[in-house]
Amino acid sequence: MAAAGPSVFLLMVNGQVESAQFPEYDDLYCKYCFVYGQDWAPTAGLEEGISQITSKSQDVRRALVWNFPIDVTFKSTNPYGWPQIVLSVYGPDVFGNDVVRGYGAVHVPFSPGRHKRTVPMFVPESTSKLQKFTSWFMGRRPEYTDPKVVAQGEGREVTRVRSQGFVTLLFNVVTKDMRKLGYDTGPPDTQGASGPSPQQGLPP
Amino acid sequence: MAEVHVIGQIMGATGFSESSLFCKWGVHTGAAWKLLSGVREGQTQVDTPQVGDMAYWSHPIDLHFATKGLQGWPRLHLQVWSQDGFGRCQLAGYGFCHVPSSPGSHQLHCPTWRPLGPWREQLARAFVGGGPQLLHGDAVYSGADRYRLRTVASGLVHLELGLLLRHFDRYGVQC
Repeated sequence: MAAAGPSVFLLMVNGQVESAQFPEYDDLYCKYCFVYGQDWAPTAGLEEGISQITSKSQDVRRALVWNFPIDVTFKSTNPYGWPQIVLSVYGPDVFGNDVVRGYGAVHVPFSPGRHKRTVPMFVPESTSKLQKFTSWFMGRRPEYTDPKVVAQGEGREVTRVRSQGFVTLLFNVVTKDMRKLGYDTGPPDTQGASGPSPQQGLPP
Repeated sequence: MAEVHVIGQIMGATGFSESSLFCKWGVHTGAAWKLLSGVREGQTQVDTPQVGDMAYWSHPIDLHFATKGLQGWPRLHLQVWSQDGFGRCQLAGYGFCHVPSSPGSHQLHCPTWRPLGPWREQLARAFVGGGPQLLHGDAVYSGADRYRLRTVASGLVHLELGLLLRHFDRYGVQC
């Protein structure tokens, strides 16, 4: 019996939240979650996670390393709403309160293969200097009630943010049945490195 | 009908003299193209970089087009504005780039320009702000009346766009 053509394609993503570059902050942990459109559904793996708390290394690199695994599989009928990974990084302030140090989001790459992405991280800014001082003093910084807002474009025009670090992610992407459904994702992009390189953003 | 998915981000901007920047973007297509899902235009957040000089927006773009023809391939047009401490907005640059036509992931660096007025207006812009702006936004992506403009170069907008094509080979189109 001939099988009917597939109507659903699968996207398998694994990889890690590798490291971060935040020149001014230390003792950070990271949360990730996936945001996707209505036609998408996760079929296996974990959609969200919280990493360990890491400190900067004592050597010259001053590296913040999480090496935190990501492993998830999605199925969908439509590439619209392609999954994005949303990262939130938190750390202690001078008084010991847990404050947000950055939000960032990036689309999961869609050509199969190995990809490296460097995601810039930003925090919402207080509207006035007085509010900035009060929030610093009380340890309650401006934050998003739902970090998934970072993955959407609507409603961002009223927000003011400050970008202050980067997080490096590694992805391995495997897709199934995209070609059978007629989709052309372009040449496989092995060892592709992309995103802003932190060196150009950091002061010498 | 062939389908095109444009999935990516407006990463940020470099090379502008002002630091708190945001970008208004829109996609213009020809008559044969129909937008099935996604928002055709938007505005990013205002970013003030703390580290380095690149303003980062990471604004997601997710568009799904169906098309009957190749003419009018989508063009992304951008207006970069700066916002000062008082909340006033000033134009920093206009730019446009075509959405890439080959499938896969692309890094685009879109150059921008802004209209230049006579020396009096340039002096006023340096002290008080403001400056000439285009009356009709379509001069950014069309070449029609450009010869009337005198402009000066501004910074670069960096985009990372991925393109997914569907059924183009059915129609014999090679991308």
